[in-house]
Formats: sequence, structure tokens, C-alpha cells
Amino acid sequence: MVRIMRFVSLCLPLAFLISCGGSQPPSRWEKVQQDTTNPQKQEINKPIVPPKAGGTLNDFFPKSADGYDVTPSQEKAGFAEYKLKKGGKEMAMLAISDATAGNPAAMEKFKQSSKSIGGFPAVEQGSTATALLVNGRYQVKVLSRSPEFTPADRAAWLQKFDLTGLAALK
Amino acid sequence: MSKPLYELVDALPTSGLTVSLLRGLDFVVPGQWQNLVGFENTIRTVTGETDQQLIQQIGERAITLYNDPSQGYQRAVWLFQTANSAGGLIGAAAMADKLSQNFSFLSFLDKLTPKADKAQTIDLVLKITVELVAFCQINGIPGDSIGDFVAALADYGNESLMRMAALTCVDALVPLGPDFIQQVDHVVSNLVPADLDSHPVFSRISGYLPGGDSLGKVAFIGDTFQSVKGWMGDFVSSRNLTPQSILGNVRQFIDVTDDKLDYFAAFLDMSTNYFEHTGIQTVARRLTERAVAEI
Repeated sequence: MVRIMRFVSLCLPLAFLISCGGSQPPSRWEKVQQDTTNPQKQEINKPIVPPKAGGTLNDFFPKSADGYDVTPSQEKAGFAEYKLKKGGKEMAMLAISDATAGNPAAMEKFKQSSKSIGGFPAVEQGSTATALLVNGRYQVKVLSRSPEFTPADRAAWLQKFDLTGLAALK
Repeated sequence: MSKPLYELVDALPTSGLTVSLLRGLDFVVPGQWQNLVGFENTIRTVTGETDQQLIQQIGERAITLYNDPSQGYQRAVWLFQTANSAGGLIGAAAMADKLSQNFSFLSFLDKLTPKADKAQTIDLVLKITVELVAFCQINGIPGDSIGDFVAALADYGNESLMRMAALTCVDALVPLGPDFIQQVDHVVSNLVPADLDSHPVFSRISGYLPGGDSLGKVAFIGDTFQSVKGWMGDFVSSRNLTPQSILGNVRQFIDVTDDKLDYFAAFLDMSTNYFEHTGIQTVARRLTERAVAEI
């Protein structure tokens, strides 16, 4: 009996140490995972405005020109994205998202914007993206996928979108 | 609830038979596939961004989109996983069939297992169909958009192109031989719902296939193959692919002692899950591309 007690008294701290050492720090993604799988929070975060169909947004993208090919990539509710290629090489991504319906937080960054492109508030984001906000609702973004595609190229391609047409989209 | 997106991407292996097979197939689509693993690494590689705050925002948006069932990304992963889950089973059936041809005492197995080529063909056309349906889920277009899918195949790259390359090589050319298109055509044109109703993959995915009843779904599977076969034929001929060239290259990465191509194919079928592996990589890339555009 004494032997068993001794064995247990030795093992218990060991087991505690192993269990402590084995536990991983929480993942940086755990909070958003919990928030977006919790039915109550999902209900709260539901968009107030129904998103525009991706197909509706297609009409406002630039067309292939000057050696550049504009090819479809994704089309979802409230979102459409195209690849911009030159000689088969991916140069940039072009996107329109219905921010009001999809991700309203994305519009915050335009409040501090001191820049405008084509008459719309614009921001540089990270090292690869330039975005502008049309009608306080639609985010238009050009993202470089090659170092050859500069911020000036992004600004130029943003102006190739039919921004006036998009601004008229109710 | 299935596994979180970041766990799926973090758990993708960096070695093993699947990765070796895909490395062995690099010669088919040179430089198209890097084994992109790890959620943060995927975000960095796809977007080119290094700022941690921005990576956090992109990751959170990608996870949010993935967890919204109406967006289709989660279903796409499930489809890729499900199409792969029959691998072992089909592999075992094909192996039993080959044994029954070599050993007469096992000939009774013919009654229990489908002919290897037919089983292989059904496996192939189901995977092609799953690729189409998953494409529609990821891209948000109706599930019967065969035309959109075929047009997009021309623009396939990275993991998606590697998956189609592996499908063409490992599930078509190697097990069925250079005239696989005629063979599959023959099997598909004679398919009846009874061939599929008991198939473990078909029974799980049939709810997501257009076509209404089983007969309509069989027709849809046939139509899908009819539309993709031209792409597959061009893919093989433009690269001068043969079963032997594939075996020769994959052998540099996987120790295959047997020269028999059908055994080789059955072995790969049982021991690799390239469809799921590259499928998760495709979904992670698409989500990242969208997330960075939406934040």
C-alpha cells in the first residue's frame, strides 16, 4: 500500500507537468472561429442590406486592353473578382465588394482618407493594395501580384472601372 | 462542425506519399504547384503582405467567409474530401479484381467486385464531376454551369491545375491506358443508375448534383465528361504524356518496384489523397484572394 502511495505521489506531479507542458497556447484565430460559429453572434452580424448579386458587379470591371487580359476569378453574392494578366503572367487582381452588405468594417479606413482617385475617397492598404469607396457602399480594389505592377499602375487601373456606372447602382 | 479552416491548412503535410506523388508530377505542369501549407504562410504567399495586423485581418475575414455555409467554401472542401474517401475502397476493389484474373480460385470475386476498369472509370468521372461542382461552389455559379467550368479550365493554375493534372495522369492515363477517352466514353454511355446508386461517393454527393432523379444525375455525369474530355485529350497529347513517362517520373519520388501499371495506379489510389490535399489548398487560396479584397 505504501508503495502504491509513493508511486501515486510521484506520478501526480509528473502528470500535471506533462499536461501543462502539452497544452498549446490559444491560436490567434480561435476568437474569430468561435464568433463566426456561434449562432447568436451570427444572427447579430447578419447584413442589414441584402448583397448585390456578383453578376451585377461584373458590368463595371475594365475590359481587356493594351496587352492586358482581364479574366474572371470569383463571383459571389456581393463580390466579384478578376485577374489581370499580361503575357500569361498574373499582374494584379481587380475586385468590387459590396461592403455595406458583406464587411462594413472595411469602410472605416476611408474616413481618414485624404486622397481621392476619380473623385472617390481612396487609400493605400498594406504594400500591395489600393482601394476606393464608391457611393459609401462599394469597395473597388486593385491588388498587385507582381512587383512590376506599381501603386501608379493600381491607381490607373482603378480609373478604368466604370466608377460612374457603379455609383449609380442602387 | 467540421475542422476549422486554419486547422485544415495547418495540418496539410509537407512530406509523405501524396506530396511525393505531386512532386513527381511537377514535370507535367512545371512550376505550377508549390506545396503551400500553413494558414499564415498561405496568406503571406498569396497576398505578398507581411504586416501582422493586416495578416490578422485577412485571416479573420477568410475564416468568417469559410464558416458561412451559404458561401459554399466549406461544402467545396467537403466535396474534395468525399471524392477522395472512396480511394481506398476503389483501390481494394481493383486489387481484388486483378487478383481474380491471375488466380482462378479467386474468380468468384468477380461477382462481388466491379471490373477494375469500370470501377476506375466510375471513380474518374465522379472526381471530374466533383471538380465541377466544387468549382461552382467556390465561384458562386449555378451547379450546372458546365460551360463556365470548361472555359475556366483553360485558366486553371497552381493547385487546381495540379489536381486536374493528377486526375488525368493517375486516375485516367495510367490505369486505363492511352485510349482512356474512348474507354470512358464507352462506359459512361452505358451507365445506368444501378451502377452508381451503391457507389459510396455517389450516394454521398448525389444531393449536390443537378439533374433531379438518378437518371438525370447519370446524364449530368455523362455531360460533364463529354465537355471535359477534349481538355483532357489535349492535355495528354500536348505534353506527350504516356503511362510509362508518368511511372518513370513518379518513381524518382516514390519507390515502386512493380512495373505493372494497373497495380501502380491501384497503389496510388489506396495510398494518396491528392484530391483532398490540393482541394484544401485551392479553397484556402480562393478565400485568401477574396478576404484581402474585402477587408
